[in-house]
Amino acid sequence: MSISLSHLTKRYGADTVVDDVTVEIPESSLTAVLGPSGSGKSTLLKLIAGLESPDEGRVVIEGDDVTDVDPRYRDIGFCFQHYAPFRHMNVARNIGFGLRVRKQPKDVIDAKVAELIELVRLDGKAKSYPAQLSGGERQRMALARALAIEPRVLLLDEPFGALDALVRTELRQWVKELHRQIKVTTILVTHDQDEAMEVADQLLIMHEGRIEQAGEPTELYERPATDFVHGFLGPTTMFKGVSVRPHDLELVPASEGAIEGTVQSIMELGFEVQVTVALSDGTAPWVQMSRNEFRNLHVEIGSLVSIRERD
Amino acid sequence: MNHTTRKWSLRLVVVLYLGLLVGLPVGYLFIKAFSHGFHAFWVEVTKPDAIAALKLSAEVALIAVPVNTVVGIGAALMLARRKFFGSRALTLAFDIPVAVSPIIIGVALVLAYSRIGWFGSWLASHGIQILFSPIGIVMATMAVSLPYVLRSVLPVLIEVGKDQEDAARTLGAGAFRTFWQVTLPAIRWGVLYGVTLTIARTLGEFGAVLVVSGNITGKTQTLPIYIFDAWDQNFDTIGSFAGALVLASISIVALIILSTLRARERKLHVDLA
Repeated sequence: MSISLSHLTKRYGADTVVDDVTVEIPESSLTAVLGPSGSGKSTLLKLIAGLESPDEGRVVIEGDDVTDVDPRYRDIGFCFQHYAPFRHMNVARNIGFGLRVRKQPKDVIDAKVAELIELVRLDGKAKSYPAQLSGGERQRMALARALAIEPRVLLLDEPFGALDALVRTELRQWVKELHRQIKVTTILVTHDQDEAMEVADQLLIMHEGRIEQAGEPTELYERPATDFVHGFLGPTTMFKGVSVRPHDLELVPASEGAIEGTVQSIMELGFEVQVTVALSDGTAPWVQMSRNEFRNLHVEIGSLVSIRERD
Repeated sequence: MNHTTRKWSLRLVVVLYLGLLVGLPVGYLFIKAFSHGFHAFWVEVTKPDAIAALKLSAEVALIAVPVNTVVGIGAALMLARRKFFGSRALTLAFDIPVAVSPIIIGVALVLAYSRIGWFGSWLASHGIQILFSPIGIVMATMAVSLPYVLRSVLPVLIEVGKDQEDAARTLGAGAFRTFWQVTLPAIRWGVLYGVTLTIARTLGEFGAVLVVSGNITGKTQTLPIYIFDAWDQNFDTIGSFAGALVLASISIVALIILSTLRARERKLHVDLA
């Protein structure tokens, strides 16, 4: 096991921000810590890095108990939410910082920096200053700076949070690809479930300082352990008094014996169509279907339909 | 009033205001200092007592400015990066010397360090004299210029945030390297601004220094006191104007250097994004 946290607890005054967290993070995995804002996920990351110290519990990395070790000796690559570039240093000097601290010979540093600049696709930007880079470029520079010291663990705090939608999707794919190449145990913190499901091979759902559930994304999606996980990992709607996924419901032409209702609203989102049906018991579940399914159904607002769970 | 008229009348008010308060008096000082020609000016400036005063002022600044810079940066780091009991009281303590009249600082120093003061009598019994000596002048000057570096650096430190320092730590840098290579470059403009203000205040301080120095010509006379003496006691108006011009020039040159450096830095786009 690469990282193991046991009974980790952090309090700020009366607030318990991280509450008795015990979890194992597998070697070479790409784990996403997912939770709403204020769930303690960023604090958890800082506890692992040593930038915050826990009130209780232990942090063990590759078998070494590092709980009382200063962050400078933990060999951790940390990428900050706003990248924390050294603004007065150019890209090459930013990336080489950790190597200069480690007193590597100049030619070794130069070679390593050149290699990393190519890896993070910042060719031609070596002499640029952070202020001259785009958000995505700054992000990649921060990654290269963290990777330069060949860390045992890579920690990314909301790595795509400050980027616009298009750059974000591109960078997600790139981070996933990068992880496949270098295989360093990586933990990223995010509040975006799509992002977490897309990038990570392990999920860790946090809520109010506690771990709600940990495991592979599909497993958590299909078998959520708590209502919170169920609600957080995807859309839900109420049907027959229970919370279900809208894509697990279907509409059929009104028929005897099935639950009937009237189409209340139709939202067409490209490939996906969302149809809300008002039922006689006063509830109004919504159903998610493909454009083709919707076409074949031939309904409009006010149509009478039957609703049931898919087989 | 349309937009253009309003813009120009606002500019006129600002120019008039600055002209009456700064431009006219300083300009007049310049004319007066040279009213008997450059030679007369030079004779006044190179008088032994004037030279002694300039030298003492420079010596005081050479001690007070570095000490207050180090103390100011240290206190700003403490206040910005750690939460601790009494931090507000500390900030207040730094502000007191400029919030009260310099005369009060002077009188308070005399009370504490004269022979009747309990600390002064102990020092006197060990042969150390603070009042009427350069030591007292340095202390009074340091007190009145205490908060400038702190006040210029603290907001910059808070704005820059802790992330760059944390990043340096995770990359293996110790406190010393982090300060010199990460923190100091990030706050350098705040520091330079604070140092410039400290220099200006240090060279210009009059009230507090007058009280503790005893005003001994050629011995404990700083440049501002020399100017005052020339004006008030010796009716030496040219001498007073000449000294004032030298004093004003030093501060103005410091300000010009600072703003030129800053403008060049901005042009290089390496400033804050």
